Amino acid sequence: MIEAAGLTKFYGTHPAIQDVSFRVSEGEVVAFLGPNGAGKSTTMRILTGYMPATEGTARIAGFDVTEESLEARRHVGYMPEHIALYPEMRVTEYLLYCGKLEALETKKLFERLEYVLEACSLQERADSIIATLSLGYRQRVGLAQALLHDPAVLILDEPTIGLDPIQIVEVRGLVKKLAGKHTILLSTHILPEAQQSCERVLIMNHGRIIAEGAPDKLTTQVRQAESYRVRVARPSSEVADRLRQVPDVLNVQSGPDGAYGVDTRIGSDPRAELSRTVVQMGWSLLEISPLELTLEDVFQALTMRKESAA
Amino acid sequence: MRATLTIALKEFRGYFIAPMAYVVVLFFLGVSGLIFVLTMAMPQAATNHYRGVMQSMVFITLMMAPVLTMSLLALERGRGTLELLMTRPVSDWSIVLGKYLAAVMIYTGLLIVTLLYPLLMSVGGEVEWGTILSGYVGMFCAGLAFMGIGLFGSAITADQIAAALSAFFILLFFWIMGFVAQSVPSGLGDVLNHLSFIEGYLEFAKGVIDLKNVVYFLSLAGFFVFLAERVVESRRSV
Repeated sequence: MIEAAGLTKFYGTHPAIQDVSFRVSEGEVVAFLGPNGAGKSTTMRILTGYMPATEGTARIAGFDVTEESLEARRHVGYMPEHIALYPEMRVTEYLLYCGKLEALETKKLFERLEYVLEACSLQERADSIIATLSLGYRQRVGLAQALLHDPAVLILDEPTIGLDPIQIVEVRGLVKKLAGKHTILLSTHILPEAQQSCERVLIMNHGRIIAEGAPDKLTTQVRQAESYRVRVARPSSEVADRLRQVPDVLNVQSGPDGAYGVDTRIGSDPRAELSRTVVQMGWSLLEISPLELTLEDVFQALTMRKESAA
Repeated sequence: MRATLTIALKEFRGYFIAPMAYVVVLFFLGVSGLIFVLTMAMPQAATNHYRGVMQSMVFITLMMAPVLTMSLLALERGRGTLELLMTRPVSDWSIVLGKYLAAVMIYTGLLIVTLLYPLLMSVGGEVEWGTILSGYVGMFCAGLAFMGIGLFGSAITADQIAAALSAFFILLFFWIMGFVAQSVPSGLGDVLNHLSFIEGYLEFAKGVIDLKNVVYFLSLAGFFVFLAERVVESRRSV
């Protein structure tokens, strides 16, 4: 549904993205993951027909985004980062305007309007002037306009940025609901977000795709060990040594306040054994929890591997 | 075509939401009305005098056009709404023409309102409708050119004030050329005179609809609308 081949974009002499190639099949939900400035937005702007690539080609639903731009754009619903709306318009008025630009038939337009107002929980604010809406509501209007013409492809640039935790959960839920009906490409710089809502992630850094795959696979691929955090009430010098003797434990590092970082063999879960040891030794177990891999870890691992391979 | 109309209607409605349009409309109708009343207060007011009113209106239009058009593209760029507009299945031409059409609609509306003046005159005396019609055709054509230049100003920057000023300087340039023409050797002077608004408009005001002058204003309008479209399109690849 989305095909990008060798996309390169220069801003002046600075390459924003270089040789970006990937495919998204019909109905797939894929996340672009990367730090700010990695080139996610630039790639999305090329896919949506906002600007042409310096080199390379991209197709949406089989239409070239530069050669057959209007056809390609017809199949895309786009929600830019920091959605900009017309503050003086009312929500419904704005959505009707968008629908007319998408050349929807009047009957279809009103059906879709009703649907997106409901899907994005906007019914109560349908007649509000956009300037009076909170950021969360504006974001929903942004999503509503992207969905309005029932596009085959949805391109969402940082759909949860600036939202409070409750709203983030709502937007994620909505994306899940839309999966299957639409092909979705969304960008984020939050790893758990990609893990929760996407089947596949493309990791970008410095304008290049450095890894791609299912989120779980990617983290296991990156991860050399499982990590746990163990905290005890009465730390002593023996703790680290004793924990190291627990089966499957590879390494133990002691931290402040009686906290220890315990690395264990991939696929193992020695938590029961760890807690028994702590209790038996009388150190009093306060906490034992798995350490989530952060985006920084993934990047570090990936970039380090790249360098050592080179 | 449908998209062009959709955009034009949205902009047209937008004019009545923003205070700036009201200021511009009041300015246009206020000043032209004042000039009309003052002119009519003179003894034996007649069509001849209304010609002067029409000439003033062209000048008011020249001052008003940059303000009426400054928001068209600059505001969308400044606010960032242009990105979504440009990713819709709508050509750049539709966007630019839709915006242009909105300004032309407002201007046409204003001209129609000012037809009240000669109507009022006809109550009290004889009016040469032919001359008036020709003057209005001239004002309409000149307005098309002025709005085109205004639109171009709005395309080249994201700042409305800068947009209005750029358009105003271009308009002033074309206006002043008529004066410059009188102080340079006749060969060059003729060329400048042909390029100037004044020469073109004066003939309309005399009651002569010369195709040459219609073509002059229309090609000026077309040229600047074309430039505006080029600018919008070129901004995509920056």
